[in-house]
Amino acid sequence: MKINPVKINPVKTKKPFDFFYAFNVVLLTLVLIVTLYPFLNVLAIAFNNSDDTVRGGITVFPRVLTLENFRTIFAFSNIPQAFLISVLRTVSGTFLSVAACSMVAFVLSRRDFQGRAFLSRFLAITLFISGGLIPGFLLMRDLHLMNTFLVYIIPGMVNAFNIFMIRSYIDGLPYELQESAKIDGANDFTIYWRVILPLCAPVLATVALFVAVGQWNSWFDTYLYNGSNQSLSTLQFELMKILQSTQIGRDAAYGNDIAKQMQQISPDSIKMAITIVTITPILVVYPFLQRYFVKGMTLGSVKG
Amino acid sequence: MKTPKNRWNRLIAVGCIATVGITSIMALAQNSATTPITFTAFASDPNANWNNMQDDVGKFLTQKTGVTLKPEFAVGDPIAKINLIAASGQYPDFIVPKGQQGVLVDAGAMLDLTDLINKYAPNIKKVIGKQFDRMRFTLKDPKIYFIPNLDSIGQIDFDTDAWYKLQLGALKEQKYPRIKSLQDYEKVITTYVKKHPTTSDGKPTVGLSLLADDWRFVISVTNPGFWATGASDDGEWYIDPTTYEAKVHLTRPEEREYFRWLNHMNDIGLLDKESFTQKYDQYLAKIASGRVVGLIDASWEIGQAVNSLKAAGKFEQTYGRFGATLKPNMKAAYNQPTGFRGGWGIGITTSCKDPVRAIKFLDYLASPEGQVLNSWGIEGKHYNMVGGKRVIPEAVQKEKSNNNNAFARATGIGSYNWSIRYGDGVKDATGNYYTTNFPDQILANYSDEEKSALAAYNVKFWNDLLPKPSSFKAKPWAAAWSIPVAQDNPLNEFWNAEQDITRKYIPQAILAKPADFDKIYDTLLAELETKISKYSKLQTQLVQDRLKLWKILK
Repeated sequence: MKINPVKINPVKTKKPFDFFYAFNVVLLTLVLIVTLYPFLNVLAIAFNNSDDTVRGGITVFPRVLTLENFRTIFAFSNIPQAFLISVLRTVSGTFLSVAACSMVAFVLSRRDFQGRAFLSRFLAITLFISGGLIPGFLLMRDLHLMNTFLVYIIPGMVNAFNIFMIRSYIDGLPYELQESAKIDGANDFTIYWRVILPLCAPVLATVALFVAVGQWNSWFDTYLYNGSNQSLSTLQFELMKILQSTQIGRDAAYGNDIAKQMQQISPDSIKMAITIVTITPILVVYPFLQRYFVKGMTLGSVKG
Repeated sequence: MKTPKNRWNRLIAVGCIATVGITSIMALAQNSATTPITFTAFASDPNANWNNMQDDVGKFLTQKTGVTLKPEFAVGDPIAKINLIAASGQYPDFIVPKGQQGVLVDAGAMLDLTDLINKYAPNIKKVIGKQFDRMRFTLKDPKIYFIPNLDSIGQIDFDTDAWYKLQLGALKEQKYPRIKSLQDYEKVITTYVKKHPTTSDGKPTVGLSLLADDWRFVISVTNPGFWATGASDDGEWYIDPTTYEAKVHLTRPEEREYFRWLNHMNDIGLLDKESFTQKYDQYLAKIASGRVVGLIDASWEIGQAVNSLKAAGKFEQTYGRFGATLKPNMKAAYNQPTGFRGGWGIGITTSCKDPVRAIKFLDYLASPEGQVLNSWGIEGKHYNMVGGKRVIPEAVQKEKSNNNNAFARATGIGSYNWSIRYGDGVKDATGNYYTTNFPDQILANYSDEEKSALAAYNVKFWNDLLPKPSSFKAKPWAAAWSIPVAQDNPLNEFWNAEQDITRKYIPQAILAKPADFDKIYDTLLAELETKISKYSKLQTQLVQDRLKLWKILK
């Protein structure tokens, strides 16, 4: 049997010019350029010869390709150790913070929890009022958290904003899920662990990303609490030190050592190279979490 | 009756006992002087090269003094951290607070070092010498809390900077004319721009470019007002050397004439139109392109651009520097001696476990041995004595120049300037310089183009073109900007108030038509009079208090 191919005549209608679509393309292209260009510029300067950078006019491509800026940074031998600490604090800090926040959020979402309103308000206060630098410092000292690794983890572990975000998400889940689990004989922890947490994946990923970026970027707590303890130094703190030394080296009062001055790479180039070193790990992780990120943000906010 | 032999025996016995005694006492003394002790410290400047004393000099210091330093270096703004230290009541043993001294003294954190220095620190006393009183804190509280370590003592500047800069190529083309006055300076620019209206790549030549980006305005626009009129650097102030009264330096009649000259430079089209709008990086890029003939700026501010020019082999576009003045009878005062300026240093806190060991440690660092250690390193390793001269072996020097950070980390040279010390150009008992910055080294860093220019001027250093330090009277108050201002003194508002006025009117005056210049300058002076004169009284008080503290005024 032979089937005659049916010839379909495409309807020839002239597609009307979609003004809105064109506008969107132009606008989003502009947004793309505006957001991407600074990054490419930083990248170009980081890989460009520092003496050449001073001449200006670097846009998207390096003019005189060099790795010298990075070599200068990695010449400081504290970097590997600091990198390790940074990874450790990011991984353990994120894990513990997500665990702690989600537990508190779960408890706050339970209608049968008596102190719910009070605890919510209490937590909300910390969103608006903080103890300030000096009381915070004194507290850490009295808790004997100075010069410890735990000072990176514990103070920021329970964060009200993250708790509210997770709670809003849990509030959006049908409460019947919990009730039916209970009827099936699950205790509260089982409900949290086996029912709620798996459903919360998007919001947990979002919170994890927030916390991880915060942990990764933070240097001020190292400076405040562990500044004299080299073995607990973090990557950002070390990079900050390098940046400051190059800047100071260029200043007047320190301009005596001419050999040093001649040799030094300009602070701007160092700054750009440091930026690249700092954001690369986040850039690597981000695409894997981004999917959840968008979802978690919108879901959480609509219901919240 | 004692036989001589008997007596002899007894003498030996006594000798033996005495020797044993003395050695054991010495051993004991030695022991207490070098028993391991750890001092914590906080320093307001970062030092990325600190290597936990595991460097050559650090190991030697620990071995010699028993001291291990465990310092923390400020990163970012030290003010917050010092406030924390003051508030927490847990102080490190040593602290170098720079501008934050007052907070710590108010908190009762600092030890009075006067007696400690007198008893245990002969080297510190020797280095500070007759200027001992300049270490005292304030007139109200004349104790010694800090041993100065930021400013070195007796520094001789072989290569003082001067602000009026001209491209070496332009100077060469015009056969190296003498640059004494602003007119000489202007003439080089005019002639050059007329002959080369564009650079080789077709861009217009810029006659004179100024920089007014934020605080840099002061360096390149207003400070030259006193440099060109024979006054020296007192920050925004001018201190009358006879009455010790302070006034804003812009109010001096000579300076009006200086800004009139800048107005004239703008009028004849030689002043860069972007002078008051360009950002620092744009300014550097412009200089690095080699098209700016004249600059009025400090060398440290244009260093990056000049390095870039050198890297590109454009040595003729780098700059010679001159102390040009408005009138021939004015002496460019770049070299006017200030004496030791007092000020920032290291203190021992009340938390210190062993202040005596602490001061002895600082005293060792201030000793000739300690100072040579810090700037030269260890003999036989980082330098050799060749015919009575300290010489850095070529391999060491190469490492130092090419790999400075790694070198500093490995050797520790330069990381131990915690105590008072001599500056460049001061020689020790062996006739060698204490520091490694001395004339030969500066000469080695001049390019061939600079050397031929200097040869044409018949001098060795650019500094030789400036009036010598000996031709000035030392400023008894040192420098007005070096006097610390107490936290509660309204003088702290002065800078912002004054900058609001000057950054508005000075550019206006320079860019105005010459006929309007005086009107604008008068407005500037009137504004300064109404809004700033109250601060002048406070500054006068500050200067006079210092003079009383230093026992110059009764």
